[in-house]
Amino acid sequence: MTPVISIRNLTKTYQMGENAVHALRSISLDIQPSEFVTVVGPSGSGKSTLMHILGCLDQPTSGQYFLDGKDVSRLSDDEISAVRNNKIGFVFQGFNLLTRTSALENVELPLLYSKDPVPAAERRRRAMEALAAVGLESRSEHHTNQLSGGQQQRVAIARALLNNPSILLADEPTGNLDSRTSVEVMDIFQSLKEERGITIVLITHEPDVAAYGSRIVAFRDGVIVSNEANTQRRTARAELVDLPVAVEEVG
Amino acid sequence: MIITKNSVLIALKALRRNKLQTALTMIGMTIGVATVLTMIALGSGAQSAIQDQVRAAGMNLIVVTAGNYQLRQDAVPDDAIEPAAFHPDDRFVPQLRTATWDPRTRLQLTRSFFHPEDDPMEKHDHPTSRQRLGDSEAGLGSAATLTIPDADAIRKISGVQFVSEGIHENAHIAFEGKRWFTRMHGDDVSMPMIRRAWTFPHGRYFSKREEANAEQVIVLGSIVSEKLFGDQNPVGKTVTLWNQPFKVVGVIGSGSWMVAPSAGDDQFDAIYLPVTTVQKLLNLSKLNDITVTTVSTGDVTRVSKAVADLLRARHHIAFRTPDDFTVTSQARKALAKGGMRPEVARAVVGNVSGLEKVTLDQLGKTLDRASATMTALLASIATVSLIVGGIGIMNIMLLSVTERTREIGIRRAVGARSGDVLAQFLLESILLSVTGGLLGILIGYLVSGSISKFVQWSTSVSPLSVAISFGISAAVGIFFGYYPARQASRVLPITSLRYE
Repeated sequence: MTPVISIRNLTKTYQMGENAVHALRSISLDIQPSEFVTVVGPSGSGKSTLMHILGCLDQPTSGQYFLDGKDVSRLSDDEISAVRNNKIGFVFQGFNLLTRTSALENVELPLLYSKDPVPAAERRRRAMEALAAVGLESRSEHHTNQLSGGQQQRVAIARALLNNPSILLADEPTGNLDSRTSVEVMDIFQSLKEERGITIVLITHEPDVAAYGSRIVAFRDGVIVSNEANTQRRTARAELVDLPVAVEEVG
Repeated sequence: MIITKNSVLIALKALRRNKLQTALTMIGMTIGVATVLTMIALGSGAQSAIQDQVRAAGMNLIVVTAGNYQLRQDAVPDDAIEPAAFHPDDRFVPQLRTATWDPRTRLQLTRSFFHPEDDPMEKHDHPTSRQRLGDSEAGLGSAATLTIPDADAIRKISGVQFVSEGIHENAHIAFEGKRWFTRMHGDDVSMPMIRRAWTFPHGRYFSKREEANAEQVIVLGSIVSEKLFGDQNPVGKTVTLWNQPFKVVGVIGSGSWMVAPSAGDDQFDAIYLPVTTVQKLLNLSKLNDITVTTVSTGDVTRVSKAVADLLRARHHIAFRTPDDFTVTSQARKALAKGGMRPEVARAVVGNVSGLEKVTLDQLGKTLDRASATMTALLASIATVSLIVGGIGIMNIMLLSVTERTREIGIRRAVGARSGDVLAQFLLESILLSVTGGLLGILIGYLVSGSISKFVQWSTSVSPLSVAISFGISAAVGIFFGYYPARQASRVLPITSLRYE
C-alpha cells in the first residue's frame, strides 16, 4: 500500500540569532492510509515543526516529503496553498476560527478558496453536512464566541473535513479543553478513522491522549525515539459512557 | 492575483466582521468625496451662471456704430456731426430749418463730417446748444451718420428683438450744490430689456410716453445716485443737467454679481435720458450708435448682415464704397479675438469707461477662466481632505494586517494563496473607499442642492464631477490599499498561526 505520508531524511534548522536550532534532525517516517498516528514528545522536541511541515505551513531545510506520492517539499506557494486547501485538514489547539463569524461561515471557508468555484448553495449544503457530522447543525448560525470550547473545536474539525482531505492534522487539539470534551473530540477522531477511513496525525505532549491512536511516534530532540503500534489503545466511545454529561451539552 | 466573485465575497464578509471600524473608515472617505463634489459643484455652478448671463446679456447683441473707424481715409472724428437739415426725413426738421437757409450750404456740404458748431471760424445764425443751454460742455461728443429713422427701419427687420438708439456724452450733473461728472446715455425705452442684468432699486426706467414727448426725465446709475443723494431715494427729486431741470424717475443697480457698479464704469456711473430728449436739447438729429438684440443668438450673423444691407441702402452708399457705419456683433468679436486683452482685464476690475464696448463674451470668458482657477483651487483643497481620508484607510488597513495576522494565518491554512490574501485586503480597501465615495457623492449632491436652495449660490453637479469623485475614491482605495495588502499577502502561514 502506498503511504499517504512519506518523509525521507527531513531536516529543519532555525536560525535563532547566532545559534542554529535543529528542530528536526534527518527524520524518516511513513504513514499508511486510515492510520491514526499520535506524535508525542515534550515541548521543543520538534513535533510541532514536523506538524507544520506535514501541513505544508512550513518548508523543510532539506529532505523530501511525499504526500499521496507527490513531492510537496519543493512546490510553489500557490501549489502548496492548493494542497492545503484540498488534501490537508487542520485542527489546532487554539481552534483558529474566525471571530465574529458564524459557525457555518467558518466551516465553508475552505470552499471559498477552492480552485473550482463552488456555488453558494452547494457551499452551504456541504458545510451543513460537515456540521451535522460533528453534531452541531443546530448551532450553525451561532458566532464562534457563542460556542463552548468543545463546540468550537468541533466546528474546526468540521472545517478540516470539508474538502475530504487525505490527512487530518491535529496539533494539541485537546490542549484547551476539559477532560470530557477532550474525550468527545477524541471520539470524533476515532470514528472518523473507523467510519470514513481518514488518516489522522495527532500531536500531543500528553501520553494519555496519545494512547487513543493506532500508532505512537515518540519524539525527543528532533529525532524519533520510538515508532510502534499502540497495543493499549483507548476507546473514547466506551470511556464517554462513564463520564458525567457536561452542562453545556444539555439542550 | 485573481479577483473572482469569491474574493469580493470574502472581502465583504471580512468588512462585516468589523462594522464600527468599517463605518469610521468609510466616513473619512465620504467626507472627502462629498467635499470634492461640493467644491466642484460650486465652482462649475459659478461657471454656468456666468455662461447663462453672458448668453442672456451679450451674445445676441449687435452694436451699430456711426462712422467706419477701420478705414483711415474718410475717418470720421468721434464728435463730428452733420447738421440735421440735410436729411429732410429727420424728426426735428422744423427746429433745424434755419441751417438750410445758410447761404454757404454748399461749403458745409463738403465739410459735412465736421460739427458746424465746433468750427471756430464758423459764424452761426442760430445759437449753439452750449449757448442755448448755457453749458459749455453740451453738444460735445456726438457722432455722425446714424439717425432715429435708421433705428426704426432696423426694428422692422425680422429676427430683431430690441433696438435702442444711443447718444453718448460726458456730462456734469448737479443736485443742490453737489456735482458729479459722469457719462450721459440717451437711449430708448427698451434698454433695460437689452441690459438684462439691470435692477431698479428705486423707481423705474423712463416710459415710452416720456420718450415720445421728449420729456426731461432722468434715470440715475447707482453710483451717480450714491454720489448725489447718498442713501436717500432720489426718485421724484429734480437734478440739473445742461442747466436744465430733470426729474429723477429711477435708479439702476446691478442684478448680477458679474458686474459690480464702480465709479467710472459705463453702466452704473452713468445717467440715462430718453434719446429724444437729448436730441431736442442738444439740437442733434444723429446717433452715436444703435444697439440691436436678436431673438435668437444663432441669428446674429444674419441679422448683422441684414442691418448692414439696410443701412447701406438707406445711406445711399454706392457699390465698392465703404460703409459709413460699423456693425459689430458680439459673436464676431468673440471669434476674432482669442486671448485676454488689456481692456478685458480693465473691464474685470470695473474701471473702464465704455464697458459696453468690451464684449460681454470676453468678459465672460475671463470670468470663466477666473472661476475655473477658483474651482481648481477649491478642488485641490478638497483633494487634500481626500488624501487624508485615503491615509486613514491605509492606516486602518496596515493596522488590520498586524491585528489580523491570525486571521491571515487561518485563511492560509485552509488554502488561501498569497494572491487571495492580497485580493482580499485590496478589495476591502477599494470597497471601503468606493462605498464611502458613493455615499460622499450622495451627500455632496444633497449639500450642493441645499446650498443652491438656501444660500442661493448656483451649483451644478455634472456627471463629469461625479465620475471624477468616484474615480478618485476608487484610486485612493487602490493606491492606499495596495501596500497594506501586499504586507498581508507576505505574511507566512506559519508565522501567522504562531502569532497570538
